[in-house]
Amino acid sequence: MDAFDLDVRRHVYFSVVANGRPPSTTETSEDFGLPEPEIADAYRRLHDAHALVLFPDTTDVWMANPFCFGPAPHRVMARGREWTGTCAWDALGIPAAFHGDGRIESECACCGDPVALEVSDGELVRGAALLVHILLPARRWWEDIGFT
Amino acid sequence: MVYLRSEEHLERWLDDNDWEPGATLSASKMNELSREWWGTRLDSDWRPRPPDESQAILERIGLTGEFWQLV
Repeated sequence: MDAFDLDVRRHVYFSVVANGRPPSTTETSEDFGLPEPEIADAYRRLHDAHALVLFPDTTDVWMANPFCFGPAPHRVMARGREWTGTCAWDALGIPAAFHGDGRIESECACCGDPVALEVSDGELVRGAALLVHILLPARRWWEDIGFT
Repeated sequence: MVYLRSEEHLERWLDDNDWEPGATLSASKMNELSREWWGTRLDSDWRPRPPDESQAILERIGLTGEFWQLV
């Protein structure tokens, strides 16, 4: 991953933290003062490198893991904002990425009943008895990162 | 990767969907993994983590064996 792509990736993540959403390629091209196709190519390279995840056949950011920008049942309150985690792991990853506290509201995959977790000072102080299940072995996670 | 309320709910969920079981962690263990895995994600000098470093994180948490092999 070259320095330019790292810069673009950093810009996307910092924009996510600042604005709660990822920048479009148009917004990033304006911020960098570069043609939009150059930024779109960088987004695609970052997707191919698993540094971002784009919605299929677009340059719209679906995931800047652990942050998710599509529908998912894992809502995370952290750093004064509500976020979405793609999966159970990513949801816990949001307070971890912030090195801060967080509350997660989600559901039991079996019955749909609400479940709640809370991270304080890095420790899980609520929801510790819940289970997390991973269906696919690790080397298959990137076959379909939306289904693991 | 999903949350489940109990072993009973896990078994029912797998049966209902006709899925083979994968791996189950406590939410506490997943939080422990998350701290290590995601803790550098917002660093300004972030670089892609080589697979062997990611594998080492899993091993430090005690996640070893074929299921947890990244490559």
